[in-house]
Amino acid sequence: MLLGTSAAAALGGVLAGFGTSQAVAGQAPAAAPAPQGPQYLPFHGKYQSGILDAPQAHAVFVGWNLNWREGGKKDQLRSLLKMITDDAQRLTAGRGVLADTEAEMAAGPSDLTVTVGVGQNLLEVMGGAKVGTLPGFAGDKLQQRYGQSDLLIQFCGQDPTVLAHAVRAVSKNLRGLAQKLFTQRGFMHQRGSSDTFRNLFGQLDGVNNPKAEARELAVFGTPDEPSWIANGTTLALRRFEMDLEGWDEVATAGRDFSLGRRQSDGSPLTGSGPADPVDLDAVNEVGLPVIGANSHVALAMPRSAQEVIHRRGYNFIDGEVSGLLFASYQRDPAASFIPLQQRLAEADLLNTWLTPTGSALYAILPGIEPGMYLGQQLLG
Amino acid sequence: MNTKNTLKTTAALLGLGLLLTGCAQDGANANGAAASESPATQASALQASETWAKAAQDGMTAAFGVLHNSGTADVELTKVEDKAGNVIQIHETTGNGADAKMSQLDGGLKIEAGKDAILEPGGTHLMYMDLKAPLVASETGQLTLVFSDGSSTEVPFEVRNFTGAKESYENHEGMDHKNMDHESMNHDG
Ligand code: HEM
Ligand SMILES: [Cu+2]
Repeated sequence: MLLGTSAAAALGGVLAGFGTSQAVAGQAPAAAPAPQGPQYLPFHGKYQSGILDAPQAHAVFVGWNLNWREGGKKDQLRSLLKMITDDAQRLTAGRGVLADTEAEMAAGPSDLTVTVGVGQNLLEVMGGAKVGTLPGFAGDKLQQRYGQSDLLIQFCGQDPTVLAHAVRAVSKNLRGLAQKLFTQRGFMHQRGSSDTFRNLFGQLDGVNNPKAEARELAVFGTPDEPSWIANGTTLALRRFEMDLEGWDEVATAGRDFSLGRRQSDGSPLTGSGPADPVDLDAVNEVGLPVIGANSHVALAMPRSAQEVIHRRGYNFIDGEVSGLLFASYQRDPAASFIPLQQRLAEADLLNTWLTPTGSALYAILPGIEPGMYLGQQLLG
Repeated sequence: MNTKNTLKTTAALLGLGLLLTGCAQDGANANGAAASESPATQASALQASETWAKAAQDGMTAAFGVLHNSGTADVELTKVEDKAGNVIQIHETTGNGADAKMSQLDGGLKIEAGKDAILEPGGTHLMYMDLKAPLVASETGQLTLVFSDGSSTEVPFEVRNFTGAKESYENHEGMDHKNMDHESMNHDG
Protein backbone atom coordinates (compact mmCIF):
# COMPACT_ATOMS: atom_id res chain seq x y z
CA MET A 1 0.00 0.00 0.00
CA LEU A 2 1.36 3.35 -1.00
CA LEU A 3 0.75 6.30 1.19
CA GLY A 4 0.95 9.93 0.24
CA THR A 5 2.30 12.46 2.67
CA SER A 6 -1.07 13.46 4.00
CA ALA A 7 -1.89 9.84 4.51
CA ALA A 8 1.34 9.36 6.34
CA ALA A 9 0.49 12.26 8.56
CA ALA A 10 -2.95 10.91 9.27
CA LEU A 11 -1.48 7.52 10.00
CA GLY A 12 1.03 9.00 12.33
CA GLY A 13 -1.86 10.41 14.25
CA VAL A 14 -3.63 7.16 14.48
CA LEU A 15 -0.57 5.28 15.50
CA ALA A 16 0.84 7.59 18.01
CA GLY A 17 -2.53 8.14 19.62
CA PHE A 18 -2.11 8.42 23.32
CA GLY A 19 -3.31 5.79 25.64
CA THR A 20 -4.57 2.68 24.09
CA SER A 21 -3.87 2.87 20.45
CA GLN A 22 -1.14 0.58 19.44
CA ALA A 23 -0.31 -0.72 16.09
CA VAL A 24 -1.72 -4.06 15.26
CA ALA A 25 0.26 -5.83 12.64
CA GLY A 26 -1.91 -7.51 10.09
CA GLN A 27 -3.40 -7.42 6.67
CA ALA A 28 -5.16 -4.46 5.23
CA PRO A 29 -8.84 -5.17 5.33
CA ALA A 30 -9.94 -4.54 1.80
CA ALA A 31 -12.95 -2.52 2.83
CA ALA A 32 -11.21 0.00 5.04
CA PRO A 33 -10.48 3.30 3.32
CA ALA A 34 -6.95 4.59 3.52
CA PRO A 35 -6.69 8.05 5.03
CA GLN A 36 -5.40 9.77 1.95
CA GLY A 37 -6.68 11.88 -0.84
CA PRO A 38 -8.48 15.17 -0.96
CA GLN A 39 -11.12 14.26 1.59
CA TYR A 40 -8.72 14.00 4.53
CA LEU A 41 -7.57 17.15 6.27
CA PRO A 42 -4.78 16.70 8.79
CA PHE A 43 -5.70 16.70 12.44
CA HIS A 44 -2.18 17.25 13.69
CA GLY A 45 0.00 20.25 12.96
CA LYS A 46 1.22 23.58 14.18
CA TYR A 47 -2.32 24.94 14.19
CA GLN A 48 -5.66 23.20 14.49
CA SER A 49 -7.39 22.64 11.17
CA GLY A 50 -10.65 24.34 10.31
CA ILE A 51 -9.28 27.84 10.77
CA LEU A 52 -7.04 28.86 7.88
CA ASP A 53 -8.51 26.25 5.50
CA ALA A 54 -10.99 27.24 2.88
CA PRO A 55 -14.39 26.86 4.53
CA GLN A 56 -16.15 23.54 4.01
CA ALA A 57 -19.76 23.54 2.88
CA HIS A 58 -21.24 22.60 6.26
CA ALA A 59 -20.50 23.49 9.84
CA VAL A 60 -21.86 22.66 13.26
CA PHE A 61 -20.80 24.74 16.24
CA VAL A 62 -21.52 22.94 19.48
CA GLY A 63 -21.16 24.50 22.93
CA TRP A 64 -21.03 22.56 26.19
CA ASN A 65 -20.80 23.46 29.84
CA LEU A 66 -18.86 21.01 31.97
CA ASN A 67 -20.32 19.03 34.84
CA TRP A 68 -17.61 18.96 37.48
CA ARG A 69 -17.28 15.99 39.78
CA GLU A 70 -15.57 15.83 43.13
CA GLY A 71 -11.85 16.26 42.90
CA GLY A 72 -9.44 18.33 40.86
CA LYS A 73 -10.86 20.22 37.91
CA LYS A 74 -7.56 20.13 36.10
CA ASP A 75 -7.52 16.32 36.06
CA GLN A 76 -11.10 16.18 34.87
CA LEU A 77 -10.45 18.66 32.10
CA ARG A 78 -7.31 16.83 31.06
CA SER A 79 -9.06 13.50 30.65
CA LEU A 80 -11.92 15.16 28.83
CA LEU A 81 -9.55 16.86 26.38
CA LYS A 82 -7.69 13.59 25.88
CA MET A 83 -10.94 11.92 24.95
CA ILE A 84 -11.92 14.71 22.56
CA THR A 85 -8.48 14.54 20.97
CA ASP A 86 -8.83 10.81 20.48
CA ASP A 87 -12.30 11.26 19.03
CA ALA A 88 -11.17 14.03 16.69
CA GLN A 89 -8.16 12.21 15.33
CA ARG A 90 -10.21 9.10 14.64
CA LEU A 91 -13.08 10.95 13.01
CA THR A 92 -10.89 13.11 10.78
CA ALA A 93 -9.11 9.92 9.66
CA GLY A 94 -12.47 8.40 8.72
CA ARG A 95 -12.77 6.02 11.66
CA GLY A 96 -15.37 5.69 14.37
CA VAL A 97 -14.59 6.72 17.91
CA LEU A 98 -14.12 4.14 20.66
CA ALA A 99 -17.47 2.59 21.60
CA ASP A 100 -18.95 3.91 18.34
CA THR A 101 -22.16 2.16 17.40
CA GLU A 102 -22.21 3.72 13.91
CA ALA A 103 -18.55 3.73 12.95
CA GLU A 104 -19.51 3.11 9.32
CA MET A 105 -20.76 6.67 9.09
CA ALA A 106 -17.27 8.02 9.70
CA ALA A 107 -15.83 6.58 6.49
CA GLY A 108 -14.87 9.10 3.83
CA PRO A 109 -14.58 12.07 6.17
CA SER A 110 -15.05 14.62 3.37
CA ASP A 111 -12.67 17.27 4.70
CA LEU A 112 -13.95 16.87 8.23
CA THR A 113 -12.25 19.16 10.71
CA VAL A 114 -12.83 19.23 14.45
CA THR A 115 -11.60 22.45 16.02
CA VAL A 116 -11.60 22.81 19.78
CA GLY A 117 -11.85 25.97 21.86
CA VAL A 118 -12.44 26.83 25.48
CA GLY A 119 -14.08 29.77 27.20
CA GLN A 120 -12.40 31.90 29.84
CA ASN A 121 -13.88 29.64 32.55
CA LEU A 122 -11.83 26.70 31.36
CA LEU A 123 -8.76 28.85 30.73
CA GLU A 124 -8.84 29.63 34.45
CA VAL A 125 -8.73 25.91 35.20
CA MET A 126 -5.89 25.53 32.72
CA GLY A 127 -3.68 28.07 34.44
CA GLY A 128 -5.22 31.46 33.92
CA ALA A 129 -4.39 32.70 30.43
CA LYS A 130 -6.67 35.54 29.39
CA VAL A 131 -8.89 35.92 26.38
CA GLY A 132 -11.83 37.29 28.33
CA THR A 133 -15.46 37.31 27.26
CA LEU A 134 -17.34 39.50 24.81
CA PRO A 135 -18.90 42.69 26.14
CA GLY A 136 -22.49 43.50 25.31
CA PHE A 137 -22.94 45.42 22.06
CA ALA A 138 -25.56 47.95 21.01
CA GLY A 139 -28.64 46.20 19.64
CA ASP A 140 -27.91 42.87 21.27
CA LYS A 141 -31.01 40.76 21.90
CA LEU A 142 -29.06 37.84 23.24
CA GLN A 143 -30.64 34.52 24.04
CA GLN A 144 -28.93 32.61 26.78
CA ARG A 145 -29.06 29.38 24.80
CA TYR A 146 -26.69 30.90 22.23
CA GLY A 147 -24.40 32.40 24.82
CA GLN A 148 -20.96 31.70 26.19
CA SER A 149 -20.19 28.04 26.91
CA ASP A 150 -17.22 26.43 28.63
CA LEU A 151 -16.26 24.34 25.64
CA LEU A 152 -16.79 24.85 21.93
CA ILE A 153 -16.19 22.46 19.09
CA GLN A 154 -16.44 23.63 15.51
CA PHE A 155 -17.17 20.67 13.25
CA CYS A 156 -16.82 21.40 9.52
CA GLY A 157 -17.06 19.14 6.50
CA GLN A 158 -18.43 18.74 3.00
CA ASP A 159 -20.80 15.91 3.87
CA PRO A 160 -23.61 16.68 6.31
CA THR A 161 -24.13 13.00 7.12
CA VAL A 162 -20.51 12.48 8.10
CA LEU A 163 -20.75 15.70 10.05
CA ALA A 164 -23.90 14.58 11.86
CA HIS A 165 -22.16 11.41 12.92
CA ALA A 166 -19.08 13.26 14.14
CA VAL A 167 -21.19 15.59 16.26
CA ARG A 168 -23.19 12.69 17.64
CA ALA A 169 -20.16 10.52 18.37
CA VAL A 170 -18.41 13.29 20.29
CA SER A 171 -21.65 14.24 22.05
CA LYS A 172 -22.27 10.67 23.16
CA ASN A 173 -18.81 10.45 24.63
CA LEU A 174 -19.42 13.69 26.51
CA ARG A 175 -22.73 12.57 28.01
CA GLY A 176 -22.72 13.06 31.73
CA LEU A 177 -19.43 14.94 31.56
CA ALA A 178 -20.85 18.05 29.98
CA GLN A 179 -24.19 19.65 29.25
CA LYS A 180 -24.90 20.81 25.74
CA LEU A 181 -25.76 24.49 25.59
CA PHE A 182 -26.20 24.87 21.83
CA THR A 183 -25.91 23.18 18.49
CA GLN A 184 -25.72 25.77 15.72
CA ARG A 185 -25.69 24.44 12.17
CA GLY A 186 -24.53 26.41 9.18
CA PHE A 187 -24.03 26.00 5.47
CA MET A 188 -22.44 27.87 2.65
CA HIS A 189 -21.52 27.41 -0.93
CA GLN A 190 -18.15 28.67 -2.01
CA ARG A 191 -18.04 30.63 -5.23
CA GLY A 192 -15.29 29.51 -7.55
CA SER A 193 -11.82 29.19 -6.15
CA SER A 194 -12.10 32.10 -3.75
CA ASP A 195 -13.39 31.93 -0.20
CA THR A 196 -16.53 33.89 -1.01
CA PHE A 197 -20.11 32.74 -0.65
CA ARG A 198 -23.58 34.18 -0.93
CA ASN A 199 -25.08 35.00 2.44
CA LEU A 200 -28.85 34.93 2.85
CA PHE A 201 -29.17 38.66 2.06
CA GLY A 202 -27.79 37.61 -1.32
CA GLN A 203 -24.50 39.44 -0.76
CA LEU A 204 -21.16 38.11 -1.84
CA ASP A 205 -19.49 37.61 1.53
CA GLY A 206 -15.82 37.05 2.32
CA VAL A 207 -14.36 39.16 -0.50
CA ASN A 208 -12.02 41.20 1.66
CA ASN A 209 -10.98 38.43 3.97
CA PRO A 210 -7.22 38.33 4.47
CA LYS A 211 -5.54 35.65 2.34
CA ALA A 212 -2.54 33.35 2.72
CA GLU A 213 0.21 34.88 4.92
CA ALA A 214 -1.94 37.87 5.79
CA ARG A 215 -4.60 35.48 7.09
CA GLU A 216 -2.10 33.52 9.14
CA LEU A 217 -0.72 36.74 10.58
CA ALA A 218 -4.17 38.08 11.49
CA VAL A 219 -5.17 34.82 13.14
CA PHE A 220 -2.02 33.58 14.85
CA GLY A 221 0.26 36.64 14.98
CA THR A 222 3.99 36.15 14.99
CA PRO A 223 6.36 34.31 17.34
CA ASP A 224 7.07 37.69 18.97
CA GLU A 225 3.46 38.72 19.05
CA PRO A 226 1.41 35.53 19.25
CA SER A 227 -2.22 35.20 20.26
CA TRP A 228 -2.98 34.25 23.89
CA ILE A 229 -0.63 31.30 23.33
CA ALA A 230 1.78 30.36 20.55
CA ASN A 231 -0.08 28.71 17.65
CA GLY A 232 -3.42 29.29 19.31
CA THR A 233 -5.98 31.92 18.43
CA THR A 234 -9.44 33.15 19.38
CA LEU A 235 -12.88 32.61 17.90
CA ALA A 236 -15.68 35.16 18.11
CA LEU A 237 -19.01 33.48 17.48
CA ARG A 238 -22.06 35.72 16.99
CA ARG A 239 -25.48 34.69 15.79
CA PHE A 240 -27.29 37.28 13.66
CA GLU A 241 -30.89 36.78 12.68
CA MET A 242 -31.80 38.43 9.40
CA ASP A 243 -35.08 40.16 8.69
CA LEU A 244 -35.49 38.80 5.20
CA GLU A 245 -39.03 40.16 4.87
CA GLY A 246 -37.76 43.66 5.58
CA TRP A 247 -34.78 43.14 3.27
CA ASP A 248 -37.18 42.21 0.45
CA GLU A 249 -38.52 45.76 0.51
CA VAL A 250 -35.14 47.34 -0.11
CA ALA A 251 -34.23 48.18 -3.70
CA THR A 252 -30.87 47.30 -5.17
CA ALA A 253 -29.42 50.79 -4.71
CA GLY A 254 -30.37 50.84 -1.03
CA ARG A 255 -28.96 47.39 -0.46
CA ASP A 256 -25.70 48.25 -2.17
CA PHE A 257 -25.40 51.56 -0.33
CA SER A 258 -25.93 49.84 3.04
CA LEU A 259 -23.12 47.44 2.33
CA GLY A 260 -20.81 49.62 0.23
CA ARG A 261 -20.51 46.85 -2.32
CA ARG A 262 -22.81 45.66 -5.07
CA GLN A 263 -24.96 42.62 -4.52
CA SER A 264 -24.57 41.69 -8.19
CA ASP A 265 -20.87 40.87 -8.17
CA GLY A 266 -19.45 42.02 -4.84
CA SER A 267 -17.63 44.94 -6.43
CA PRO A 268 -17.17 48.00 -4.23
CA LEU A 269 -19.20 51.07 -5.20
CA THR A 270 -15.84 52.61 -6.03
CA GLY A 271 -14.83 49.90 -8.49
CA SER A 272 -16.06 47.50 -11.12
CA GLY A 273 -14.75 44.16 -9.91
CA PRO A 274 -14.78 42.49 -6.48
CA ALA A 275 -11.02 42.85 -6.14
CA ASP A 276 -11.09 46.61 -6.69
CA PRO A 277 -10.24 48.76 -3.68
CA VAL A 278 -12.83 50.14 -1.31
CA ASP A 279 -12.12 53.88 -1.59
CA LEU A 280 -13.71 55.73 1.30
CA ASP A 281 -12.48 59.10 0.01
CA ALA A 282 -14.16 58.87 -3.38
CA VAL A 283 -16.98 61.40 -3.87
CA ASN A 284 -19.68 61.68 -6.51
CA GLU A 285 -20.58 64.67 -8.74
CA VAL A 286 -22.30 66.45 -5.89
CA GLY A 287 -19.45 65.86 -3.48
CA LEU A 288 -21.02 63.08 -1.41
CA PRO A 289 -19.02 59.98 -0.49
CA VAL A 290 -19.64 57.12 -2.90
CA ILE A 291 -19.35 54.64 -0.07
CA GLY A 292 -21.33 55.96 2.87
CA ALA A 293 -19.53 56.37 6.18
CA ASN A 294 -22.11 54.12 7.85
CA SER A 295 -22.06 51.42 5.24
CA HIS A 296 -20.97 48.01 6.49
CA VAL A 297 -17.65 47.91 4.65
CA ALA A 298 -16.74 51.48 5.60
CA LEU A 299 -17.19 50.69 9.27
CA ALA A 300 -15.76 47.20 9.05
CA MET A 301 -12.61 48.15 7.18
CA PRO A 302 -9.65 47.63 9.50
CA ARG A 303 -8.26 50.89 10.90
CA SER A 304 -4.86 49.30 11.44
CA ALA A 305 -3.05 46.02 10.81
CA GLN A 306 -3.95 45.02 14.38
CA GLU A 307 -7.62 45.14 13.53
CA VAL A 308 -7.63 42.54 10.77
CA ILE A 309 -9.82 39.51 11.44
CA HIS A 310 -10.44 36.33 9.44
CA ARG A 311 -14.14 35.66 8.94
CA ARG A 312 -15.28 32.07 8.57
CA GLY A 313 -19.01 32.40 9.05
CA TYR A 314 -21.93 30.32 7.79
CA ASN A 315 -25.52 30.84 6.74
CA PHE A 316 -28.15 29.30 8.94
CA ILE A 317 -31.83 28.50 8.66
CA ASP A 318 -33.55 27.27 11.76
CA GLY A 319 -37.20 26.68 11.01
CA GLU A 320 -38.38 30.11 9.89
CA VAL A 321 -35.39 31.95 11.28
CA SER A 322 -32.58 32.79 8.87
CA GLY A 323 -29.32 34.51 9.44
CA LEU A 324 -25.57 34.45 9.60
CA LEU A 325 -23.54 32.48 12.07
CA PHE A 326 -20.75 35.00 12.23
CA ALA A 327 -17.46 33.36 13.16
CA SER A 328 -14.15 35.15 13.10
CA TYR A 329 -10.66 34.14 14.08
CA GLN A 330 -8.25 36.78 15.29
CA ARG A 331 -5.04 37.05 17.26
CA ASP A 332 -6.27 39.57 19.80
CA PRO A 333 -10.01 40.24 20.03
CA ALA A 334 -9.54 43.29 22.24
CA ALA A 335 -7.56 44.98 19.46
CA SER A 336 -9.65 43.78 16.53
CA PHE A 337 -12.98 42.07 16.80
CA ILE A 338 -14.30 44.02 19.78
CA PRO A 339 -13.64 47.58 18.50
CA LEU A 340 -14.84 46.50 15.07
CA GLN A 341 -18.04 45.02 16.41
CA GLN A 342 -18.56 48.10 18.55
CA ARG A 343 -18.32 50.38 15.52
CA LEU A 344 -20.70 48.21 13.54
CA ALA A 345 -23.18 47.80 16.39
CA GLU A 346 -23.38 51.59 16.82
CA ALA A 347 -23.93 52.64 13.23
CA ASP A 348 -23.91 49.93 10.55
CA LEU A 349 -26.71 50.54 8.06
CA LEU A 350 -27.18 46.77 7.80
CA ASN A 351 -28.28 46.69 11.47
CA THR A 352 -31.79 47.63 10.34
CA TRP A 353 -32.20 44.03 9.18
CA LEU A 354 -30.01 42.27 11.74
CA THR A 355 -30.67 41.06 15.28
CA PRO A 356 -27.76 39.63 17.27
CA THR A 357 -29.08 36.73 19.36
CA GLY A 358 -25.90 34.86 20.27
CA SER A 359 -22.45 35.95 21.37
CA ALA A 360 -19.39 34.13 22.70
CA LEU A 361 -15.63 34.20 22.66
CA TYR A 362 -13.28 31.21 22.80
CA ALA A 363 -9.60 30.53 23.15
CA ILE A 364 -8.74 28.13 20.35
CA LEU A 365 -6.17 25.64 21.54
CA PRO A 366 -2.82 25.42 19.76
CA GLY A 367 -2.18 22.59 17.32
CA ILE A 368 -0.56 19.37 18.49
CA GLU A 369 1.82 16.70 17.31
CA PRO A 370 0.84 13.04 17.13
CA GLY A 371 0.91 11.55 20.62
CA MET A 372 -0.17 14.79 22.29
CA TYR A 373 -3.61 15.88 23.41
CA LEU A 374 -5.27 19.24 22.83
CA GLY A 375 -4.48 21.55 25.70
CA GLN A 376 -1.36 19.67 26.68
CA GLN A 377 0.73 22.82 26.29
CA LEU A 378 -1.23 24.19 29.25
CA LEU A 379 -2.14 21.14 31.29
CA GLY A 380 1.18 19.33 30.95
CA MET B 1 -22.44 -18.35 15.88
CA ASN B 2 -20.57 -17.77 19.02
CA THR B 3 -18.38 -20.63 19.98
CA LYS B 4 -16.45 -21.02 23.09
CA ASN B 5 -12.86 -19.93 23.12
CA THR B 6 -13.13 -19.01 19.52
CA LEU B 7 -11.44 -16.09 17.98
CA LYS B 8 -12.74 -14.22 15.11
CA THR B 9 -9.71 -13.96 12.98
CA THR B 10 -10.92 -11.04 11.06
CA ALA B 11 -8.76 -8.01 10.95
CA ALA B 12 -11.46 -6.18 9.14
CA LEU B 13 -13.21 -5.05 12.26
CA LEU B 14 -12.91 -1.63 13.72
CA GLY B 15 -11.24 -0.11 10.72
CA LEU B 16 -7.92 -1.37 11.89
CA GLY B 17 -6.70 -1.23 8.36
CA LEU B 18 -5.49 2.24 9.12
CA LEU B 19 -3.09 0.91 11.64
CA LEU B 20 -1.00 -0.94 9.22
CA THR B 21 2.30 0.52 8.38
CA GLY B 22 5.29 1.24 10.43
CA CYS B 23 5.35 1.45 14.12
CA ALA B 24 4.24 -2.08 14.78
CA GLN B 25 5.78 -2.25 18.17
CA ASP B 26 8.24 -4.94 17.12
CA GLY B 27 6.48 -7.68 18.89
CA ALA B 28 6.73 -6.09 22.26
CA ASN B 29 3.70 -4.73 23.94
CA ALA B 30 3.83 -0.97 23.99
CA ASN B 31 1.90 -0.85 27.19
CA GLY B 32 4.93 -1.58 29.18
CA ALA B 33 4.82 -5.31 29.00
CA ALA B 34 7.73 -6.82 30.73
CA ALA B 35 10.45 -6.90 28.14
CA SER B 36 10.84 -10.56 27.72
CA GLU B 37 14.00 -12.55 27.76
CA SER B 38 13.97 -15.38 25.30
CA PRO B 39 12.04 -17.49 25.10
CA ALA B 40 9.37 -14.83 24.67
CA THR B 41 6.52 -14.93 27.13
CA GLN B 42 2.93 -15.03 26.03
CA ALA B 43 2.43 -11.56 27.44
CA SER B 44 5.19 -10.14 25.27
CA ALA B 45 3.37 -11.33 22.17
CA LEU B 46 0.24 -9.39 23.05
CA GLN B 47 -0.66 -6.21 21.22
CA ALA B 48 -3.81 -4.61 22.48
CA SER B 49 -5.66 -1.93 20.54
CA GLU B 50 -9.03 -0.17 20.51
CA THR B 51 -9.35 -1.01 24.17
CA TRP B 52 -12.20 0.59 26.09
CA ALA B 53 -14.43 -0.11 29.04
CA LYS B 54 -18.01 0.87 29.60
CA ALA B 55 -18.48 3.63 32.16
CA ALA B 56 -20.43 2.55 35.24
CA GLN B 57 -21.12 3.77 38.75
CA ASP B 58 -21.19 0.35 40.32
CA GLY B 59 -22.27 -3.20 39.67
CA MET B 60 -21.31 -4.95 36.48
CA THR B 61 -19.60 -3.54 33.47
CA ALA B 62 -17.30 -4.75 30.73
CA ALA B 63 -14.15 -4.03 28.77
CA PHE B 64 -13.58 -4.53 25.06
CA GLY B 65 -10.87 -4.25 22.43
CA VAL B 66 -8.67 -6.22 20.10
CA LEU B 67 -6.03 -8.53 21.51
CA HIS B 68 -3.52 -9.47 18.87
CA ASN B 69 -1.09 -12.33 19.26
CA SER B 70 1.98 -11.11 17.39
CA GLY B 71 3.99 -14.17 18.35
CA THR B 72 4.58 -17.49 16.63
CA ALA B 73 2.99 -19.60 19.34
CA ASP B 74 -0.57 -19.64 20.60
CA VAL B 75 -1.28 -17.79 23.80
CA GLU B 76 -4.01 -18.22 26.38
CA LEU B 77 -5.39 -15.43 28.51
CA THR B 78 -6.34 -17.03 31.81
CA LYS B 79 -6.93 -14.23 34.26
CA VAL B 80 -7.70 -10.52 34.35
CA GLU B 81 -6.99 -8.34 37.37
CA ASP B 82 -6.76 -4.70 38.30
CA LYS B 83 -5.23 -2.61 41.04
CA ALA B 84 -8.59 -2.00 42.68
CA GLY B 85 -9.00 -5.73 43.23
CA ASN B 86 -12.11 -6.02 41.07
CA VAL B 87 -13.30 -9.50 40.13
CA ILE B 88 -13.00 -9.58 36.36
CA GLN B 89 -14.07 -12.59 34.35
CA ILE B 90 -13.67 -13.54 30.73
CA HIS B 91 -17.16 -13.84 29.31
CA GLU B 92 -18.71 -15.07 26.14
CA THR B 93 -22.16 -14.21 24.86
CA THR B 94 -24.57 -16.73 23.43
CA GLY B 95 -27.92 -16.17 21.80
CA ASN B 96 -29.21 -13.02 20.22
CA GLY B 97 -31.23 -9.97 21.04
CA ALA B 98 -33.32 -10.21 24.16
CA ASP B 99 -32.20 -13.78 24.59
CA ALA B 100 -28.52 -12.95 24.63
CA LYS B 101 -26.87 -14.46 27.67
CA MET B 102 -23.36 -14.21 28.81
CA SER B 103 -21.40 -16.59 30.88
CA GLN B 104 -17.88 -17.23 31.96
CA LEU B 105 -15.63 -18.98 29.47
CA ASP B 106 -14.60 -22.48 30.35
CA GLY B 107 -10.88 -22.22 30.63
CA GLY B 108 -8.91 -19.33 29.20
CA LEU B 109 -9.21 -17.28 26.04
CA LYS B 110 -6.95 -18.82 23.42
CA ILE B 111 -5.47 -16.60 20.73
CA GLU B 112 -3.72 -18.39 17.90
CA ALA B 113 -0.36 -17.17 16.68
CA GLY B 114 -0.81 -14.13 14.45
CA LYS B 115 -4.53 -13.89 15.17
CA ASP B 116 -6.78 -11.45 17.00
CA ALA B 117 -9.25 -11.96 19.78
CA ILE B 118 -12.01 -9.45 19.27
CA LEU B 119 -13.65 -8.38 22.49
CA GLU B 120 -16.86 -6.55 21.68
CA PRO B 121 -20.33 -5.84 22.98
CA GLY B 122 -22.47 -8.86 22.21
CA GLY B 123 -19.42 -11.09 22.00
CA THR B 124 -16.49 -12.09 24.12
CA HIS B 125 -15.65 -9.46 26.74
CA LEU B 126 -13.92 -8.87 30.03
CA MET B 127 -16.53 -8.57 32.73
CA TYR B 128 -16.23 -6.56 35.93
CA MET B 129 -18.53 -8.48 38.24
CA ASP B 130 -19.08 -5.81 40.89
CA LEU B 131 -17.20 -2.54 40.61
CA LYS B 132 -15.45 -1.38 43.75
CA ALA B 133 -15.23 2.19 42.42
CA PRO B 134 -16.92 3.94 39.50
CA LEU B 135 -15.42 3.77 36.02
CA VAL B 136 -15.73 7.37 34.93
CA ALA B 137 -16.12 8.20 31.24
CA SER B 138 -13.06 9.85 29.67
CA GLU B 139 -10.71 8.41 32.28
CA THR B 140 -8.29 5.58 31.59
CA GLY B 141 -8.37 2.31 33.48
CA GLN B 142 -5.69 -0.37 33.56
CA LEU B 143 -6.17 -4.10 33.44
CA THR B 144 -3.54 -6.72 34.04
CA LEU B 145 -3.84 -9.60 31.60
CA VAL B 146 -2.36 -12.85 32.90
CA PHE B 147 -1.49 -15.71 30.54
CA SER B 148 -1.23 -19.45 30.97
CA ASP B 149 2.57 -19.32 31.23
CA GLY B 150 2.24 -16.97 34.20
CA SER B 151 3.40 -13.90 32.26
CA SER B 152 1.32 -10.75 32.46
CA THR B 153 0.98 -7.32 30.92
CA GLU B 154 -0.86 -4.13 31.79
CA VAL B 155 -3.23 -2.71 29.22
CA PRO B 156 -4.92 0.69 29.44
CA PHE B 157 -8.66 0.83 28.74
CA GLU B 158 -10.31 4.13 27.87
CA VAL B 159 -13.56 4.50 29.77
CA ARG B 160 -16.45 5.51 27.54
CA ASN B 161 -20.19 6.00 27.78
CA PHE B 162 -22.08 3.14 26.23
CA THR B 163 -25.73 2.28 26.55
CA GLY B 164 -25.74 -0.98 24.64
CA ALA B 165 -24.58 -4.43 25.82
CA LYS B 166 -27.61 -5.25 27.90
CA GLU B 167 -27.17 -9.02 27.79
CA SER B 168 -28.21 -10.68 30.97
CA TYR B 169 -25.73 -12.62 32.97
CA GLU B 170 -26.20 -16.25 33.71
CA ASN B 171 -23.72 -17.63 36.15
CA HIS B 172 -22.42 -21.13 35.93
CA GLU B 173 -24.74 -22.60 38.47
CA GLY B 174 -27.46 -21.26 36.25
CA MET B 175 -29.41 -20.03 39.26
CA ASP B 176 -28.60 -16.45 39.65
CA HIS B 177 -29.79 -14.25 36.81
CA LYS B 178 -28.67 -10.70 36.96
CA ASN B 179 -29.24 -8.01 34.48
CA MET B 180 -26.46 -5.81 33.37
CA ASP B 181 -28.34 -2.59 33.60
CA HIS B 182 -26.55 0.49 32.53
CA GLU B 183 -29.34 2.97 32.42
CA SER B 184 -28.54 4.16 35.89
CA MET B 185 -24.91 4.61 35.03
CA ASN B 186 -25.26 7.27 32.44
CA HIS B 187 -26.24 10.69 33.56
CA ASP B 188 -27.24 12.25 30.36
CA GLY B 189 -26.50 15.93 30.05
C1 HEM C 1 -25.05 39.23 9.63
C2 HEM C 1 -24.05 40.03 9.78
C3 HEM C 1 -23.09 40.41 8.69
C4 HEM C 1 -23.23 40.38 7.35
C5 HEM C 1 -24.45 39.97 6.56
C6 HEM C 1 -22.00 40.81 6.78
C7 HEM C 1 -21.76 40.92 5.43
C8 HEM C 1 -20.58 41.39 4.88
C9 HEM C 1 -20.33 41.55 3.49
C10 HEM C 1 -21.30 41.16 2.39
C11 HEM C 1 -19.12 42.08 3.33
C12 HEM C 1 -18.45 42.49 2.02
C13 HEM C 1 -17.63 41.44 1.38
C14 HEM C 1 -16.43 41.06 2.15
O1 HEM C 1 -15.44 41.78 2.19
O2 HEM C 1 -16.49 39.99 2.73
C15 HEM C 1 -18.57 42.23 4.63
C16 HEM C 1 -17.33 42.72 4.90
C17 HEM C 1 -16.77 42.74 6.13
N1 HEM C 1 -17.41 42.46 7.32
FE1 HEM C 1 -19.29 41.84 7.54
N2 HEM C 1 -21.14 41.09 7.78
C18 HEM C 1 -21.77 40.85 8.96
C19 HEM C 1 -21.28 41.02 10.22
C20 HEM C 1 -19.99 41.40 10.48
C21 HEM C 1 -19.44 41.50 11.78
C22 HEM C 1 -20.17 41.21 13.08
C23 HEM C 1 -18.15 41.89 11.61
C24 HEM C 1 -17.09 42.15 12.64
C25 HEM C 1 -17.31 42.53 13.85
C26 HEM C 1 -17.91 42.03 10.20
C27 HEM C 1 -16.72 42.40 9.65
C28 HEM C 1 -16.50 42.57 8.31
C29 HEM C 1 -15.22 42.95 7.75
C30 HEM C 1 -13.94 43.16 8.52
C31 HEM C 1 -15.40 43.07 6.38
C32 HEM C 1 -14.34 43.46 5.35
C33 HEM C 1 -14.26 44.94 5.27
C34 HEM C 1 -13.19 45.36 4.28
O3 HEM C 1 -12.03 45.39 4.67
O4 HEM C 1 -13.56 45.64 3.13
N3 HEM C 1 -19.05 41.73 9.54
N4 HEM C 1 -19.49 41.81 5.58
CU1 LIG D 1 -20.42 -10.51 30.82
